[in-house]
Amino acid sequence: MEPATDPFVTPSTGLGSAALRQRPPSSGPTERPALLPGACRDEGGALSAAMFLYGGGAKHAGSDWFGFEGVDGGNSTLVCVSERRGVLAHLERLETQMSRSCKNLEDPPRETAESDLGTKIHKLRCLRDKLRAEVKQRQARIKASTANAEPDQTLEISEQEAVGGKEENMKAILQAYRFTGLSGKRTSRGVCVCISTAFEGNLLDSYFVDLVIQKPLRIHHHSVPVFIPLEEISAKYLQTNIQHFLFCLCEYLNAYAGRKYQADQLQRDFAAFLAGPLQRNSLCNLLSFTYKVEPQGRSFPFCARLLYKDLTTTLPTDVTITYQGTDASSTSWEEQRASHENLFFTKPLYQVFTSFARNGERLDMSLVS
Amino acid sequence: MDETVAEFIKRTILKIPMTEMMTILKAWDFLPENQLQTVNFRQRKESLVQDLVLLCESKRASLRDAALLDIICEDVDLFDMERFKSSFEKILRRALKNVTVSFRDAEENAVWIRIAWGTQYRKPNQYKPVYVVYYSQTPYAFTSFCHLKSNTPLLSQALTVASNHHKIVKMDLRSRYLDSLKAIVFKQYNQKFETHNSTMPLQETLELDMHMDSRIIHENKIEKERVQRVTQETFGDYPQPRLEFAQYKLETKFRSDFHGGILAERKEPLRCLIKFSSPHLLEALKSLAPAGIADAPLSPLLTCIPNKGMNYFKIRDK
Repeated sequence: MEPATDPFVTPSTGLGSAALRQRPPSSGPTERPALLPGACRDEGGALSAAMFLYGGGAKHAGSDWFGFEGVDGGNSTLVCVSERRGVLAHLERLETQMSRSCKNLEDPPRETAESDLGTKIHKLRCLRDKLRAEVKQRQARIKASTANAEPDQTLEISEQEAVGGKEENMKAILQAYRFTGLSGKRTSRGVCVCISTAFEGNLLDSYFVDLVIQKPLRIHHHSVPVFIPLEEISAKYLQTNIQHFLFCLCEYLNAYAGRKYQADQLQRDFAAFLAGPLQRNSLCNLLSFTYKVEPQGRSFPFCARLLYKDLTTTLPTDVTITYQGTDASSTSWEEQRASHENLFFTKPLYQVFTSFARNGERLDMSLVS
Repeated sequence: MDETVAEFIKRTILKIPMTEMMTILKAWDFLPENQLQTVNFRQRKESLVQDLVLLCESKRASLRDAALLDIICEDVDLFDMERFKSSFEKILRRALKNVTVSFRDAEENAVWIRIAWGTQYRKPNQYKPVYVVYYSQTPYAFTSFCHLKSNTPLLSQALTVASNHHKIVKMDLRSRYLDSLKAIVFKQYNQKFETHNSTMPLQETLELDMHMDSRIIHENKIEKERVQRVTQETFGDYPQPRLEFAQYKLETKFRSDFHGGILAERKEPLRCLIKFSSPHLLEALKSLAPAGIADAPLSPLLTCIPNKGMNYFKIRDK
C-alpha cells in the first residue's frame, strides 16, 4: 500500500524526510516493542506521526502495522506501534509517548536550571540593593527639604490639621448634644432618639427610642420603663405630630426622673430625719413617710403623704401632713404642720429637709444663747 | 374617622369605671343626650364601648375630640402599696379563712407575696407556698408554680381587683429565672442603642476562630459571613434572656414533598408535642446556624420567642 495515497497517513515534516516502510507483523498482537528513546526534536511531530499512523491503523483494524522511521540529520527515531486494539490502549500509548518525550526534553536542562536560578537570585539581589539605595537617597532629600522649611509643605500640613481639628470639633458637638436633653442619631432604619433627663442641674438617666421610618412610623425598640405610658403617648401623637410625641415623652421621663431623684436623695442623704421606711411606687408619684424635724428627735414624728397626680411635674399636687403626737391640738404644732404642708407643695424634697436641718441649727443656737 | 382615632377613643372609654361613665360622657358633651339614652348602659363593658365607638364614628369624632375626652377622664394611676396589700389580703380572706399571706417589699417597685393555702377544714400548708411578685403600676405579675390549681382563679381575682385592673390573662411564658422573665416582659433585653457617644464600630468584623492556623483557609467564607450576619440581625449582640424550654403543641395536617405515604393521606390533623430543652435555650438557638446544624435564617417559630413573650405554643392549621 502506498503511504502517500492513504488519506490517513501523511508524512510529518518535522522529522525531515521520512520513509515509510511497511514491516510485516513479527509476532502476535500482544508484543509491544519498546520505543527507542532517541533524541526527538519535535514531540509534536512524533505525536502527530503516531496519530496519523494510528489513523491508518484504525482503518485497517489492527491487521497491519506500520513502522515509522524519521531520518533527519542523524537523529533518527524508530517508533513502532503495537497491534493492541481499543481507545484506552491507544490513549495509554499516547501517554507513555508523551511522558518519554517530556523526559527527553527535561533531562538536559536539569543542570542548567540550577544555574539559571542562581543567576536569577543574583539579579534580584542587585535590584534590591539598587532600590534600597534609591530609597535612602529620597529620604535624605526629604529631610534636607524639610530642614529648609519650605513654606508650601507646611501649609499643606496645617490645612490637614485644620480639617482634622474641625472633624474633632464636630464630633464633640454631636456628643455634647445630649446635654440639651433631646438628641438623635441616624440609623440604617431611621433614627435613634436619646432623651437625657435632668433635674435641677443634675444629669440623670438617658432613655432611648429607636424609630423606624416607614409608613406608618413605628418604634423598633426602646428603653423607656414599662410604667411610663409610652403606648398612650404614641397612640396619640406618633403618627400625626412627631415633635409633640417627643416633647410629651421628654416631659414624662424628665418628671419621673426628677421625682425618683428626690425620693432617692431623701432616702440617702436625709435618712436621719426619717422615722420609718419611705414607701414609694414605680412612678414615684405616691410617697408616704414619717419624719421628724430634728434627727435626734425627742418630738413626735409627722406623717406625710405626697401625691403627684400630674405625671409631668416634679412637685406634688396633694400634700397631707398629719401629726400623731399627744398634744396634737396645740397651736404651735398646727402652725408647724401648715408650714410644712406649704413647704412640700412649693419646694423639692431635699430643699424642704435642708430647711428643717437649718431650722434645727437655729433652734440649737437659740437654746445655747 | 380613621382607625387610630377609633382605637384611641375605645381605649379611653374602656379605662372609665362604669360608675363614672355617664358623668364623664356628659361632661365631654360630644354625644348628645338623646343619643346617649339609646345606649344600653347595663350591658357588658366591651359591648357598651363598641356601641359608643360606633356612635362616635357616626358623628365623625376627630382627634381633638378624642383628646378632650382623654383630658376629662385622666385617671392617673396612684398605686398605693399599702392599699394594694390590704385589698389583696382582704379578698383572699373573704373567700378562704385558712390562708396565710405575707408581704415583703423587694426592690423599690416590687412586692413579694407569699401565700400558704389551706382549705375550709385544714390549716394552711406552710411547706407548699405560692410566691407572687408584682411590679406596681405595671400590668404584670409573676407567680411560682401552684400545686393546688383550684386556688388559681381566686389568686387571679385578688391580683386583678387589688391592682385596679379589670382582667387578668395567663401568659404562655415560663422559666426558672425571674430576671429573664422580667427582661422579656419589660422588654429590657435589647438595650444596645446607637449614639454618637458609643465607640461601636460601623462594621462588625467577622471573627473566625482566632486560634486557627493561618495556613488554613475557609473555603466557604462568604456563606459563613452570611450566616453570621443573619444570626446577628435576628438575635442581636446582647445576652439572651434565659429560658429552659420551648414547647410546641401541633395540631396540623402532615405536609410532605412526597405524594402519597401513609401520613400524607390522613384527613384528621396530626397531634404531636415538640419540646426543646436546654440550660440556656435562646443562646442554643442562636448558635445553631453558625455551628452548621441548621440553616439561617431559623424558623420564625423559634426566633419569635422573646418578641412575643411566649415559649408555649399551640399551632393549628388555619
